[in-house]
Amino acid sequence: MKKSIFQLNTRTVVTIGIGAALYGATSFIGIPVGPDTSLRPAIALLAIFGALFGPVVGFIAGLIGHVLNDVLTSGTVWWGWALGSGITAAFMGLIYVSKGFDPQNGAYKGKHIGLFIFYGIVGIILSLLFSGWFDIAFMGEPSDKLVVQVTAASISNIIVFLVLGVPAVIGFARRNAKVSNLSVNE
Amino acid sequence: MNRTGSLYVTGSSLFHRLDGAVKLVLFMAWTVMTYMFLDLRVFVPMLAVGIVLLITAGIPFKRMAFLFWLMIIFTVLNAIFILLITPTFGTRLTGTDTPVIPVGYNTINAETLFYVLTLSAKYLTLLPISILCIFTTQPSAFASSLNRIGIPYKIAYAVSIALRYIPDLTEEFRSTLNSMQARGMGISKEDGSIKQRLRNLAAVVVPVLQSALHRIDSVTNAMELRGFGTQKKRSWYSGKDMEPMDWTFAVLALVLLGVGIWLKVAMLKGFWYPFS
Repeated sequence: MKKSIFQLNTRTVVTIGIGAALYGATSFIGIPVGPDTSLRPAIALLAIFGALFGPVVGFIAGLIGHVLNDVLTSGTVWWGWALGSGITAAFMGLIYVSKGFDPQNGAYKGKHIGLFIFYGIVGIILSLLFSGWFDIAFMGEPSDKLVVQVTAASISNIIVFLVLGVPAVIGFARRNAKVSNLSVNE
Repeated sequence: MNRTGSLYVTGSSLFHRLDGAVKLVLFMAWTVMTYMFLDLRVFVPMLAVGIVLLITAGIPFKRMAFLFWLMIIFTVLNAIFILLITPTFGTRLTGTDTPVIPVGYNTINAETLFYVLTLSAKYLTLLPISILCIFTTQPSAFASSLNRIGIPYKIAYAVSIALRYIPDLTEEFRSTLNSMQARGMGISKEDGSIKQRLRNLAAVVVPVLQSALHRIDSVTNAMELRGFGTQKKRSWYSGKDMEPMDWTFAVLALVLLGVGIWLKVAMLKGFWYPFS
């Protein structure tokens, strides 16, 4: 059953906490594909947590996870990129609000997958543009360098999202559909 | 890293005794200060103050050395990256152009070198205060401090859950990764094409996610049973009252921030370049 996305009950609190921990724990791992860029499974986790629990949980979990990971592994918080993680997850979570989509009970249609991919790609590009802008505005980084970084990061995040995130959500929904495929016999 | 997922080092320095909320205020004021400027004359004193504070906190250097090395490696790589991609960026800030090192397609100029130096100082300036906060704040006290500076207690509690479970989940992720590797489904270079490695990565993510979802269930049940979230407020096991010293430091942080804003508006507007 779906509840209002802004209501914080015990389950959402725990989900945010565990989601953030999972994002933080997997952020360090990835397949490097270029300078400062790697294919990180963490992006797929943002997609999954967004789709299963909604944009608000996704945003907070992404933000907290990124901040804690930054603090524990580098000692410095990159606020622009941390907010970027949150924004990505929030966009991916928009699918949760659309009617008839409920992966917890295995309910989804073809158009939901299309929408999910659309939200995800838009979210990734927008959030990385935001992170890049943040670095230019507050850190005083040169814009040309950030164009390179943002492009590389967008491409690798979109790949992970499409190859890992989308299939994982569909797989999760399918698996739940099988379990609930029973009818009441009166 | 210990079981609680923090880097906390016990001690009795000024910073250990300071309330977590005050440390957070200091941290934020410091971060905003650093973000505002692109001026070496601001960063050098701040860095000096930061290092003095670090020394007085008495954190063993061995414990925090890795953060320093990471930061230095990052800054150096970042600097090289900037120099290679935009060798004449400094000109845009200063309006002058003094060629120094030819790199083939362009020439790195003195302005860019000085700019990179300033930027590196900016990054390093961020480090001491966050190290102080991480190493001198107990994780359980951290949640109560977040709550005190106005963050809803449920969010603060989520942060504390995240801190608690990062080591567990890291461990689990590692062991899943290792067991997949043992089956020839690793994600490192020797395991095949990028496509194959991504597929292997998917095989790791799904079980880790499943177990995380189970964990969410059991933690939720445990917390429900203990009546979490029934009241509008909660108290904290490690919460303390603010003492005069805490107030002094909080006011000090805000005054410093005020001075910083005044400096920014009145005097040090942009990038500082002494040689033009």
